[in-house]
Amino acid sequence: MAVAAGALVVVFPVLWMATMAFKPEAVMFARPPVWRFPPTLEHFDYVLAHGFLGNLVTSLVVAVVSTALVVVIGTPAAYAFARFPIRRRDDLLLFVLATRMAPPVALVIPFYLIYARVGLLDTYLGLILAYLTFNLSFYIWVLWSFCRELPVELEEAARADGYGRGQVLVRVVLPLLKPGIIATAVLCFIFAWNEFLFAFMLGGKAVETLPVAVPKLITSQGVKWGELAIVGLVALLPVLAVVFVLQRHIVRGLTMGAVKG
Amino acid sequence: MLFPYALIAPALLALVAVALVPFLYTVWLSAHEMQYARVGDFAGLANYRALLGSARFWHSVWISTLFIALAVPLEFALGLLGALVLHRGVRLRAILVPVLFVPSMMAPIVVAILWKIMLAGSWGLLSYNVLERFGLLEGTSVLASPDLALYALVAIDVWQWTPFVMLALFAGLQSLPATPYRAAAVDGATAWQTFRRLTVPLMTPLMAVVVLLRLIDAFKVFDTIFLLTGGGPGSSTESVSLFAYKTVFDFWDLGTATACAVVIWVMFFVFSNVFYQAARRLLGAF
Repeated sequence: MAVAAGALVVVFPVLWMATMAFKPEAVMFARPPVWRFPPTLEHFDYVLAHGFLGNLVTSLVVAVVSTALVVVIGTPAAYAFARFPIRRRDDLLLFVLATRMAPPVALVIPFYLIYARVGLLDTYLGLILAYLTFNLSFYIWVLWSFCRELPVELEEAARADGYGRGQVLVRVVLPLLKPGIIATAVLCFIFAWNEFLFAFMLGGKAVETLPVAVPKLITSQGVKWGELAIVGLVALLPVLAVVFVLQRHIVRGLTMGAVKG
Repeated sequence: MLFPYALIAPALLALVAVALVPFLYTVWLSAHEMQYARVGDFAGLANYRALLGSARFWHSVWISTLFIALAVPLEFALGLLGALVLHRGVRLRAILVPVLFVPSMMAPIVVAILWKIMLAGSWGLLSYNVLERFGLLEGTSVLASPDLALYALVAIDVWQWTPFVMLALFAGLQSLPATPYRAAAVDGATAWQTFRRLTVPLMTPLMAVVVLLRLIDAFKVFDTIFLLTGGGPGSSTESVSLFAYKTVFDFWDLGTATACAVVIWVMFFVFSNVFYQAARRLLGAF
């Protein structure tokens, strides 16, 4: 019972959206709404003809590159916070957390003004840098909780065998940390993939991600509902993939490490 | 001993550049007269006075408060109930759990599309079958109703975030120690006594963290409201975030907007400090 009810409430709107993607215009606005109809691919033709593949590629590029940057910069920091006595560590970690919690609207205003001045509006670099605010802080914070679970003995043994600190990090720590890195990075990818406000304000014609392209479907002839449903489904696909593969780590991510999952 | 500092330096420099600098820049701007994007004379607290004297600002504070006060307790109550049911064991839990993750991982644009379709005019599934049938609305979307739009947004927030509360609390319940429960069963405690005397105290820290996270998120909420109602109709769903956004990008009143951004920002420093201290003290987590 509970399973049925819970799943239904969550799944139902998604299923309904999925039917809209294949619904012919003729029955789109039927009263009462209909579930059975001859499926059509006309909405897909429209989406393909209006450059949404380009938006998809832009979204992928921004999400992948910003995530890669976060992993490269964030991994050593998370490890150092967990392993070494760093002066004012707690204050620094609080700064990291506050960055993650910062309200996007309060951030996008100065970003917009600064970018307008230095010419970073509507550039890949600009958007990728802006995504560091929420993703780098998130990554450090969550990976830090993974790092603290690493047994220090292996690193000590490697040190005793004559490894340098850098070698220990690369040869011993990184392999052990790999599952944590992958899980956290995938969540960062999703956050970047989903992001709307920064992309909307700091992007433009050259850098237009998929979520930002959606208003193009609200035309002077009305809303293109079927096309809207298709874009919604495509935007949802990576999330569905991640949810079923990584479910154990999502709770940890979404509670900022407070639950081990 | 420079090695650890070399490891954190790039990350800290990056965060200073993308968070601290924009923050300080906003503070600086908020203390100046602004003519569109041109920075004028030092203005002291004049922008803050304008902000606090603006009825529209206080209206947005009221809308945000209402949104939080309705959404977060509902999400918590339903989430806790769901977590207890999950914990007791339901069939097909392995399938249900990932499904429940979907709404909280969903892009705001997807949430917006889903509910635009569900609540569309006279033909939306929910509009037609529920709202019209019970005489709540006729031929229009609930999102276009000045009286009901905010409640619709609250309901959508509850739909999106209750599963997250449920799963976070469920994970907490699953990791509770078994021994005290065995002792309680031996002593013949009732289900309610066990819940009241064992589960609630053991879960308090985690519940505090989850509620705090929801409070912060609910106060920040921008995307879904922006995409679904744009703060309207009129200003009936204009939260503080939307007020700040509109003040910049619709009215180009950067003085008031930057002052508002600073006010929002200060609230979040307080919030995240409370979160950090609470989580550390209560959970021993960090």
